[in-house]
Amino acid sequence: MSIGRDGIAGLVLLAISLVLLVKSFQLPSLPIVPVGPGFYPSIVLSFMATASALLVLQDLLKRRTPAVAGADEGPRRSYGLVVIAFAIVGAYVVLLPLLGFRVATVLFVGALQAALGRPQTARQWVVLAAIALGTAVLSYFIFEKYLLVLLPRGAWTGF
Amino acid sequence: MLDLLANGLVNIAQWKYLLPLLAGTFVGVIGGSLPGVTITMTVIVVLPFTYGLDPLAGLAAMTGVYVGGSTGGLIACCLLGIPGSPASIATTFDGFPMARNGEPGRAIWLGVWASVWGGLLGAFFLVFLTGPLAAIALEFGPWEYFSLFVLAMAMVAGLTESSLLKGLISTAIGLLITVVGHDPIGSVPRFTFGSEFIGSGFSFLPVLIGIFAFAQIMTDLEKLNQPRGQAAESLIGVRLERFSHLKVNLEIFKQPFLLAWSTIVGLIIGILPAIGGSASSVMAYDQAKKFSKTPERFGKGHPEGIIASEASNNANVSGSLMTIMAFGIPGDAVTAVMLGAMTIHGIQSGPLFISQNPDIAYGIYAAYILAHPCMLLICFVLMPLMLRVTSVRMAVLAPVVLVLCVVGAYALNNTMQSVYVLLMFGVVGYVLVKLGFPLAPLILGLILGDQIEINLVRAIMTDANPWLFLTRPISGLLLLAAAASVVLAIWQHLRHRNRVAEEEPDF
Repeated sequence: MSIGRDGIAGLVLLAISLVLLVKSFQLPSLPIVPVGPGFYPSIVLSFMATASALLVLQDLLKRRTPAVAGADEGPRRSYGLVVIAFAIVGAYVVLLPLLGFRVATVLFVGALQAALGRPQTARQWVVLAAIALGTAVLSYFIFEKYLLVLLPRGAWTGF
Repeated sequence: MLDLLANGLVNIAQWKYLLPLLAGTFVGVIGGSLPGVTITMTVIVVLPFTYGLDPLAGLAAMTGVYVGGSTGGLIACCLLGIPGSPASIATTFDGFPMARNGEPGRAIWLGVWASVWGGLLGAFFLVFLTGPLAAIALEFGPWEYFSLFVLAMAMVAGLTESSLLKGLISTAIGLLITVVGHDPIGSVPRFTFGSEFIGSGFSFLPVLIGIFAFAQIMTDLEKLNQPRGQAAESLIGVRLERFSHLKVNLEIFKQPFLLAWSTIVGLIIGILPAIGGSASSVMAYDQAKKFSKTPERFGKGHPEGIIASEASNNANVSGSLMTIMAFGIPGDAVTAVMLGAMTIHGIQSGPLFISQNPDIAYGIYAAYILAHPCMLLICFVLMPLMLRVTSVRMAVLAPVVLVLCVVGAYALNNTMQSVYVLLMFGVVGYVLVKLGFPLAPLILGLILGDQIEINLVRAIMTDANPWLFLTRPISGLLLLAAAASVVLAIWQHLRHRNRVAEEEPDF
C-alpha cells in the first residue's frame, strides 16, 4: 500500500505532536495552580496527533481507489523561481545587519526584480535600478525621517 | 451615543487623522485592484507605517485600507475578468460581461456606488449593534469565552474548502505556535529546547506576516510565467464610456431589498470569525440570483449581480469590525493585523474596549464611515490611474512588498530576531499551502491561542468541575454550536464527494 503527500504530511505532524506531547508531560507542575503548564499543550497536541493520524488513515484509504490519470494536472508552475526568490530573501536577511537597510535593500530589490523578469534592454535596466534605489531611499526617508521608525544599521558599512 | 459619534467624526476630520485615512484608502484601492495582492497583504504593507503614528491615526489608515481594498478589487474584475482581491470574486461574474458588452464605466461605477451604499448601511449596524453585543460579551465568564473561541475555530476549520481534517490540523498548528515560550500562569518555559531565540515565544505579527504575505507572494511567483486569467480578452487601457452617475444610483435604489439583503448577508458573514469577504460576495450573489425576477440574466452582465457582490463585501468590513470591537475576536485576517496593531499601542480589545477607549472606538466608527466618501473621491479623481494599475507586473511588486514586510517585522522591537521569525514562518506557510493546508484556521488559532489557554485555566481555577463548560447555558450552547458546525462540515464534505463521484464519467 503506497502513501501519498497527505499521508507523509500526517506522519510528520504526528511525529512532531507525539514528541512534544511527551515533552509536555515532563513539564514541572506548580504548587498553587490546579493545572500545570503542560495541561493545555497536552490537550492541543493530543488533538493534533489524533487529527494527523486520521489524515494518514484517510490518505491510505483514498489510495486504495485508483486515481484517474492526469486528473491533477494543472498549469505549469515555476518552482525554480520560488527557490531563487527564497534564496534572495534569505541573502537579504543575512546581509541586512551587515550592510544596513539602505545598501541591502537596493541590492535585494534589484536582484529579485532581475531574477523574476530579466531586463532585455538598457532602458529596462535603468527602470530596474530606479525602482531599487527609489524603494530604498523612499522607505528610508518615510520611516526614519518622518515616522521615526528605526531601520537596521550595517556592521560593515556603519550606516 | 450620537454625541460620541459626532465627536468621532469631528475628530477624524482633522488633518492628522484624515490624511492617514485618505492615504490608507488610496493604498487599499490600489492594492485591491492589483490581482494577486489581497487586502490582508495590503494592510500588512501599511502596518509598519502605523508604528510611528498615534493609535487612532494608525487604525484610521488600516480601516481605510480595508474599505478601499474591498472596493478596489472590482476594477480588475471588470477589466481583466479576474478578481483583484478575493472579496470581489462574484463581481467578476457580471462585471466582466457588462464591460465586454461596451459598458465598462457602468460596470465599475455600479460596483463603486453599491460599495458605498452597502458600506454606509453596514455602518449603521456597526454603530448601533456593537455596544449591545459588547454588553452581552461582558456577561461572559471564562467558560463562555473558552466555548466562544472553540466555536470560532470549529466554524473556520469546517468552512475550509479542501479538507476538514486539514482545517483542524491547521488550527492546532496555530494553537501550538502560541504555547512555545513561557506559560502565562507560572512563566515556565515550554518547548524552547534551551534556545534563546524562541525563549520568549513567537511574536504574533512576524508569524502572521510570514505565513500570510510571504507564502502568498511565493505562491504568486509560481504563476509568474503563466498568462493572467483572461488576458486575451482583457480591457486594460480601455476608455470608460459616457454615462450618468444619477442613473447608476437610481439603478441601485430601484431595488432596495437587494441592497439591504446583500448588506445584511455581508454583515453576518463579517461577524462570523475569520470567514472573510470572498464568502460574503459569493453568498450575496447567490442570494440575489435566488430572489431575482430575472435569474437567467445573471452571468451575462446583470447589474443585480454587481450590486449584490459589492454591497455585501463592503458591509462585511463593518461586521468584522463589530466582532473585533465587541468580543476581541478578529473577523478575518485584516482585523487580525488591526488587533496586532492595537496590541502594539497597548490597547486591549474585548468587551470593555468601547467603554475604556471611547475616543478610539468612535474614531474607528467615524473612520469607517468617512472612508467611503474618501474612497469615492479617490475613484473620481484617480480612475484613469486605477485603470492602468491592474497591469503592474508582479516582478516589480513582489520585491517592494517583501521589503515592507521585513520593515514591518523589524520595526516591532528593532531586532533582527523578528525578521528571522518572519522568514521561518514564510517557509512554513508556503510548505503548508503546497500541502493543501488552509491558512485561515492557523491564523485564528494563533490569535486566540493565548486567550483560550488563559480562559481555560481561569475557569478550572475558579471551579474544577469540567462539566460547567456544558451545564452553563451560554457556554453549553456555544459548544453545541461548535459540535454542530463540525458535523455540518463533515456532512457537506461527504455530500460534495458523493456528488463528484456521481458526476465522474464512466470509462
